[in-house]
Amino acid sequence: MTKRWTLPILLVVIAMIATACGDSDESTTTTAAPSGTATTVSLAPGETQPPATTAAPAEPITVRAAITGGEDTINPYTYISGFPGWNLLMMQYDSLMQLDADGIPQPWLADSVTANEDLTQYTMTIVDGATWHDGMPLTVNDVKFTFDYFIENATGRFSRDLRGVESVEVSADGALVVDLAAPNPAFDLVALADIPILPQHVWEGIATPGEQTFDISTNVGSGPFMLTDFQEDQSYRFKANPDYFRGTPAIDELVVIVFADDSGALAAIRSGEVDVIFERVSPEQIELLDAQDPLDISQGPEFTTQMINFDASKAPFDDLAVRQAIELAVDKQDIVDTVFLGAATVGSPGWVHPDKPAYNPEVVPVFDPAAANALLDDAGYADSDGDGIREFDGQPMQFEMLTNSSDSLRLRIAELVSEMLADVGIGVTVASVETATWEEAVWPGFDISNGRNYDIAAWGWSAPVQANTIRIAELVNGDPGVGFLNLTGFANDDVDRVSAALLTEADPAASQALIDELQVLIAENVPFVLLAYPDGAYVYNSDVYADWEFIAGQGIVSKVSLLAPGDRP
Amino acid sequence: MTAVESPKKRGRGKSAKLADRLGWTGGVMVAALVFMAVAAPWIAPYDPTERVGRPFSAPSAEHLLGTNDVGQDLLSELIYGARVSLTVGIVAAVVALILGTTVGILAGYYPKRLGSFLMRTVDVVLILPFLPLLIVLAAYLGRSLINTIIVIGVLIWAGPARVIRSQVLSLRSREYVLASRTMGAPDRWAIVRHVLPRTALLATGTFVRAVSTAILLEAALSFLGLGDPIQKSWGSILFWAQARGAFLTPAWKWWVLPPGLMIMIASLGFALIAFAMEERINPRL
Amino acid sequence: MRRLGQRLNQYLVVFVVAVSLNFMLPRLMPGNPLALLAGVDVGLMTPEQRAEVIEQVGLNAPLFDQFVDYWKAVLTGDLGFSFRSGRPISEMIGERLPWTLLITGASLLLSAVIGIVVGSFSAWKRGKKSDLTLLTGMISLQSLPSFWLGMLLISVFAVQLGWLPSFGAVTPASDLTGWANVRDIAEHAVLPIVTLTVLSIPGVYMTMRYSMLEVLGDDFIRTARAKGASETRVLFGHVARNAIAPVVTFLAIRFAFAFGGSVIIETVFSYPGLGRLVFESVSGRDYPVMQAAFLVFTVAVLLANLLADLLYPLLDPRMREA
Repeated sequence: MTKRWTLPILLVVIAMIATACGDSDESTTTTAAPSGTATTVSLAPGETQPPATTAAPAEPITVRAAITGGEDTINPYTYISGFPGWNLLMMQYDSLMQLDADGIPQPWLADSVTANEDLTQYTMTIVDGATWHDGMPLTVNDVKFTFDYFIENATGRFSRDLRGVESVEVSADGALVVDLAAPNPAFDLVALADIPILPQHVWEGIATPGEQTFDISTNVGSGPFMLTDFQEDQSYRFKANPDYFRGTPAIDELVVIVFADDSGALAAIRSGEVDVIFERVSPEQIELLDAQDPLDISQGPEFTTQMINFDASKAPFDDLAVRQAIELAVDKQDIVDTVFLGAATVGSPGWVHPDKPAYNPEVVPVFDPAAANALLDDAGYADSDGDGIREFDGQPMQFEMLTNSSDSLRLRIAELVSEMLADVGIGVTVASVETATWEEAVWPGFDISNGRNYDIAAWGWSAPVQANTIRIAELVNGDPGVGFLNLTGFANDDVDRVSAALLTEADPAASQALIDELQVLIAENVPFVLLAYPDGAYVYNSDVYADWEFIAGQGIVSKVSLLAPGDRP
Repeated sequence: MTAVESPKKRGRGKSAKLADRLGWTGGVMVAALVFMAVAAPWIAPYDPTERVGRPFSAPSAEHLLGTNDVGQDLLSELIYGARVSLTVGIVAAVVALILGTTVGILAGYYPKRLGSFLMRTVDVVLILPFLPLLIVLAAYLGRSLINTIIVIGVLIWAGPARVIRSQVLSLRSREYVLASRTMGAPDRWAIVRHVLPRTALLATGTFVRAVSTAILLEAALSFLGLGDPIQKSWGSILFWAQARGAFLTPAWKWWVLPPGLMIMIASLGFALIAFAMEERINPRL
Repeated sequence: MRRLGQRLNQYLVVFVVAVSLNFMLPRLMPGNPLALLAGVDVGLMTPEQRAEVIEQVGLNAPLFDQFVDYWKAVLTGDLGFSFRSGRPISEMIGERLPWTLLITGASLLLSAVIGIVVGSFSAWKRGKKSDLTLLTGMISLQSLPSFWLGMLLISVFAVQLGWLPSFGAVTPASDLTGWANVRDIAEHAVLPIVTLTVLSIPGVYMTMRYSMLEVLGDDFIRTARAKGASETRVLFGHVARNAIAPVVTFLAIRFAFAFGGSVIIETVFSYPGLGRLVFESVSGRDYPVMQAAFLVFTVAVLLANLLADLLYPLLDPRMREA
């Protein structure tokens, strides 16, 4: 930690007063370009300077990126969020495989990946010439060490990826051989493209990473960027790794700035103080930001979800008719148009994103409030006292719908859903609570065996759950060991059978048949209501750096965006 | 910060009249807002919960202040917002007043053990961490407008309790109270007959100030995401303006400025009344 | 001296109760620190792994044992380690506190100067048009929502005019040293300080005006005036000197409250002060950080109260004479 503040406070105050009182011309000249580092080519808004002629290849490029909320020291045991925390982690580390622009894993640190017939054994050779940031060569032994290390220190996030790994060996010809207990068709996506490879010489001395306090000296990776400075809750400074095995990165420095909230980041990109926002911008900002020169927007479908959960283990949501009626009563297109201003994909009742090859086109969303009313009437949920709310077991169908106040779009969705459900005689009051309170009610202790403390809740999963289609089983299987993300307490024998089979099906065609079947079953049995998949939209200053790569479903925040086009997967 | 009191006569002259005038200005402002709140259904052009226009519309003949992020009429939200904001402000202040006056009178009248205990409680409440307290209260009281009101009331009662206690302490030593005590009248009688009426004016002044504090606090809670953004209050309009980036777009003129000004007017109105009342209680000021 | 002993005693009681509540409050909050301890994919862990994580930080121990450990730590001044980063909390607070003190200290200084001068003037001109204009203006300032003011300042001075930075305490990764660094820090502090100052002037002003009016009624002032001392001399030589005590008390307590950080201003300006640390530890249920931050706050407020008790008689000549 540099102690810049130790300068006498008095000087600061004097200087501050001087600045405040100084005439505006003077302060304009010095502060109009908070792009400070003379190397960046960023224009203050409104200034009409000629297009930057200074962007010659020799000029070092610094990209300043905004994130919301700190990520600690961003090593494999300390980063906080799945997005963008993991993405920043992987700027420094490499995985054996790397997602390409279509979201398909391609060989990366491994220059070849082969699997046996029944997908229980994966064999990889490691590229030549990859080195660690400290200059040591990266070898197959580091890879084996990494696998063993994550398996042994099971509290880390990557240990789960390696469940089912029976052995990790280095063969006589220097290849890595991983044996699995059961076929795992998604092993490349889930493990090989996810796990950061660690340098053995750095980590072998760290016995219990869960109890370790890290500083950034541990952040020795093989990736295109090296973390050189970290100010907690202020900024991260990454220098390009000139010896990167795929080639020198396209930019020289990446500065990641931590903001307290979204509006701070928006203000900063508009004032030219940052060059890209590593979080999705809210739909209403897309047009506005795009209209401002030199800002541009990179936009595309993503795999995060917005959904409604209900406690399907208790009345009245244990009744299929009620769940189906809710699915039919919700106008998802209206939600996409009103809340997302069109920048989202309408949710498929079968979970799988329509842009994915695994999507079953027979499963389509239906909006039909009349049919929903008929279903509820037939199932005996009448409005006997004429107050517009139906009754069940003698009680009114009046529920509280929990949302987290930190997600304003989700709050609006909840409001709209409550209006829509009122039309079919289900009363819903939206209760907006602070995030940890909401999480604890929907997913107490992050363990579904603790049950649920809600009736209806607005919810959403991050992109990785959708990205790997096989993970569908985790969401719907009634066995808590398999369906550990089954937050709604849903149980159905057919769904259990098909989803269990899917997990170990090695044959791609048979696997797809199971996925198709499962989508139909989910759409029929409604374990949850999937409302929409919001688009990803990222704003960047095209004068500073414009070659951002939008990885399908995952967005622009990855090392791929910052490599020269020829070096990308 | 109770300065030493030394009663000295000084005529209520021109300045008192001016203070009264300020008080009346405040009164008119508050009355206008209360009228707006009561008459909202008749004044407001639309139902603020209905989506009546395109989201993010600029002001037009149909929507004088444009629409918000889901197409609700901002003018109607602003008018209806008076209901929630004023209710929160006034009811929370009532809660604070009841708590503060009771504690203040008891502590002032029985300064020994009970008073000492109560004042230590006040000291503790004044330094308790605000945010976790808020979340804990919300968790155990449930989530509703009532909850927001109680939370704010509970958070702001301690200050007034101190002020009222010192007033009662000085009253306690006055002749009439001492007289009634020596004559054997029960404490309850002395409190009701002598202390309460003389504290009432001060309490009302404190109360009016508490209203403006509560209105500001409600807005701040909304901003931190700890309020209830679904309720149509001025604070929640600002929450949405902030959440949907209106501070940085031209929309700030019709989305951000008006609710901020309303909060300011309401808070100012009550503060002016409070000022005029304090002027009456202690004419020297 | 007896009175002082009594006050000390009272503060001790308040300290013990408040610090004990600081232990209970975080644990009464719904939600738990697992997400912080285990990272975002906590849901993918097995129950055994989760139990292990909880055990590592001692949250599985009986509440009473945790309470005893907590008090031991408080008494030895050991603030412990953060759940989130595992770093010593004293270090984390040490990083944040100077920033918070910079903006709150500077704004208190500014608002003290402005508030005292304008408050004295207002009291002097009591009941005149200028007094009432100032008074109304001050009450209006007091009625501004803080985040609203802050965001509008960003919008105007950072985004539209581009004069000042909109966020943070320093330009990230700028490698500035010496005067350039001081200037950089100052520029970043301007908007937060202006916002805080605008919001805290009215308090000082009201206290000063109130106190001045008290003093103006006193006999010795009338005597001084009658003796033909110049107006300014009377105002600043006699009145202001005698009226300053309540203002100093007010400022001392306000300064102590700065040790709680200003959550809203620090959020609006993404300023790395204590308030943000508190807010983030509360949202993430980082119990040790919450406890430590509130401990610091409690101690600061109690010390300031004590200081005010000690200073008051020294500052107020009337009390000194009596």
